[in-house]
Amino acid sequence: MISDTCSQGLRISRLTFGYGRSTPIIEDLNIEVAPGTLHTVVGPSGCGKTTLLRLIAGLERARQGKIYVNGRQVAGEQLHLQPEKRNVGFVFQDCALFPHLTAERNVSFGIRGRRRRERRMIASRLLDRFGLTDHTDAMPHTLSGGQLQRVAIARSLARNPTVMLFDEPFCNLEVSQRAAIRRDIFEALKADRIATVLVTHDPDEVNEYEDDRTDLS
Amino acid sequence: MVGRLTRVWLLVPFAIAMIVVVPLGVVFTIAVGDASEAWDHRVETRLLDYSLSTLGLAVFVGILALAFGVPTAWRVQTHRFPGRSMLSWALMLPLAVPAYVAAYALTDLFQFSGPVQGWMREHTGRSRSDYWFPDLRTLPGAALILASTLYPYVYLSARVAFASLPRSAMEASRTLGSGPIRTFFFVALPLSRPAIVAGLALVIMETLADFGAVQHCAVDTFATGIYRAWYGMDSQAAAARLSVLLVLGIAAILVTEWALRTRRAHHHNTHRSAPMTPRTLRGIGGWITCAACCIPLFVGFALPGARLLYLAIDRGDRKLASVFDYGLNSLMLGAGSGVIAVVLATCMVATHRASAGHSMGVFKAITRYGYALPGPVLAIGVITALGWGDRTLNDLWASIPGERARLGLVLSGSIIALLVGYQTRFLGIAIPLIDAAYGRINHRLDDAARTLGMSPAGVFAHIHLPNLRAPMFATGLFVFVDVVKELPATLMLRPFNYDTLAVRVYQLASEERLDEAATGALVIVAIGMLPALVLARRLSSKHRTLGAGLHNEEVSA
Repeated sequence: MISDTCSQGLRISRLTFGYGRSTPIIEDLNIEVAPGTLHTVVGPSGCGKTTLLRLIAGLERARQGKIYVNGRQVAGEQLHLQPEKRNVGFVFQDCALFPHLTAERNVSFGIRGRRRRERRMIASRLLDRFGLTDHTDAMPHTLSGGQLQRVAIARSLARNPTVMLFDEPFCNLEVSQRAAIRRDIFEALKADRIATVLVTHDPDEVNEYEDDRTDLS
Repeated sequence: MVGRLTRVWLLVPFAIAMIVVVPLGVVFTIAVGDASEAWDHRVETRLLDYSLSTLGLAVFVGILALAFGVPTAWRVQTHRFPGRSMLSWALMLPLAVPAYVAAYALTDLFQFSGPVQGWMREHTGRSRSDYWFPDLRTLPGAALILASTLYPYVYLSARVAFASLPRSAMEASRTLGSGPIRTFFFVALPLSRPAIVAGLALVIMETLADFGAVQHCAVDTFATGIYRAWYGMDSQAAAARLSVLLVLGIAAILVTEWALRTRRAHHHNTHRSAPMTPRTLRGIGGWITCAACCIPLFVGFALPGARLLYLAIDRGDRKLASVFDYGLNSLMLGAGSGVIAVVLATCMVATHRASAGHSMGVFKAITRYGYALPGPVLAIGVITALGWGDRTLNDLWASIPGERARLGLVLSGSIIALLVGYQTRFLGIAIPLIDAAYGRINHRLDDAARTLGMSPAGVFAHIHLPNLRAPMFATGLFVFVDVVKELPATLMLRPFNYDTLAVRVYQLASEERLDEAATGALVIVAIGMLPALVLARRLSSKHRTLGAGLHNEEVSA
């Protein structure tokens, strides 16, 4: 049961969304994700998993319902806070690293109000945390799939987000890499007490870290 | 394994490449000859002026073309607003207006005795000394005119680049705290830079090659200097030396563009994301965007077009029959050059494809650079090379025993010179377009046809040709229109007493008889609209062959 008071982390209340006038692909959805917990979203292709993440991030506009981030309403019937103002991190399926920037500059891209030197220090620290110390000046096209994924996560974490969204982050990785990357990511997120929503088509792979689950099928 | 027949065909690309190499080589050869007083005079009096004004013009035009082309491309490609579907193709219409025609029309419109200033004086009661009005017959004025007709190259290449921007990278920027403006400047623009620079390089090369507009605006550039050295001072060597300096400047631009493109090219390989979905601009914002996007279209097409239309209807060319004659010359030259260019380009690309593994790409690359040669430069090269050819022919003719008249200037004094000159320049358009179309025909189709018993000629006739018909027509159309618009090369290469519409318009406008020139100019603009409309249609549809081909052309040029 969803509480009436706005909790910390992420809260979604009676969310409905559809493209155009078609039948809603998400209807009357309620989710609550506390800080430091992992919420997985599962379901068949086309059921609206990625759309849900895009709604939370502000990349799509909700038709009905409300979304709260860290107690602040970011989406409602008359309200749509732009993505850059929500403090929500999004790790895209293809990582979406900026191909013209080095790993370090990708990570520091979202850091604001600090001097260049400080931004570099923060970025280096984060890259170090994900085992990418030797790749700070690497261009994205020189990195492996696992390294790209780690840079993308470091980039989102650099802004100290309240909520992190993952869109099938492991599907493009080799099986041998997945366990190590999963561990690195989820330990970091729990340590930073970030509310995390993860979309996956294979829920078994995150069983050991999962706190709650929504099935959109 | 290359068969015997194929080895013979290897000579085809070499021979076609010579159409560009020989004139350029001739220019360099003449340049190292004795230029004597004419060159010393030029160096002492004008060279610095030519350099500064050419550089200044290129910089001004570049900045304005970027200002016109990039924001309009961004808005049209990534936003929905009132008039967007019309603007998406209409913004390419200034390509139909040759810069010299726009210069004639706009200077006439805004000069002291023109309708705009006349209307102002009449309604405000002011006299000449009471107000200031910008003069278009200056360097900034020429830059504005050139940019307003050339910006579609930047617009087109920017649109192609923006269309392929990965949506996820743009959205990632938004989720990382960047608003739309910062996302544009820090993500979209850097990712699109190679394509935009390619379009810009084309604009600058066209600017350096322009003769009619800058001459009308009284701006001394290398192009006008070459023309004057050739005709005014009768010094081939001085003209060739100026040409070499201009070609070296263009080579520097090409090398810079190439370096920027290759340094960035690999980045795009990392993307497999969906393209962006357009964002809707509602209310006043949408209308302001529409109005802003109309500005370059207004300056580069609507204003000159309307002025020419008014002059043509009000007065026009009293010798309509002569317009028809000159028009026929233009059409014949355009059609002939279009057909020759398509045949040569197809031979070049087909041979290159058939000889996979042989390093013949260099010949293809050389011919592409022909488009970078300004009209006056290639005219000097072509006419001199053909002059040598004439002398050789006449010597051979004279060595045959018997009494007969001299052959005369059968090559350099006939339309052969024009046809060769046009190929030197416009194969640079034809080859990339045919190449792009050929690239879409899967090699396995060739293999399948061969295993089914078809000869190489049969593969070409039954597999390639049916798939190349539309691109071949489009290529011929592009060359046809460019030939009809081409002024400096036509002016310098045409045979005695043989004029085209472009030359006729130039001559009338030079004599301040714009009302008469308007009819011919309007016909050129109407013909020029054909490829702009074809291109717009292709770009708006899913057929990317032409768009990609033109993009390759920009990149290669």
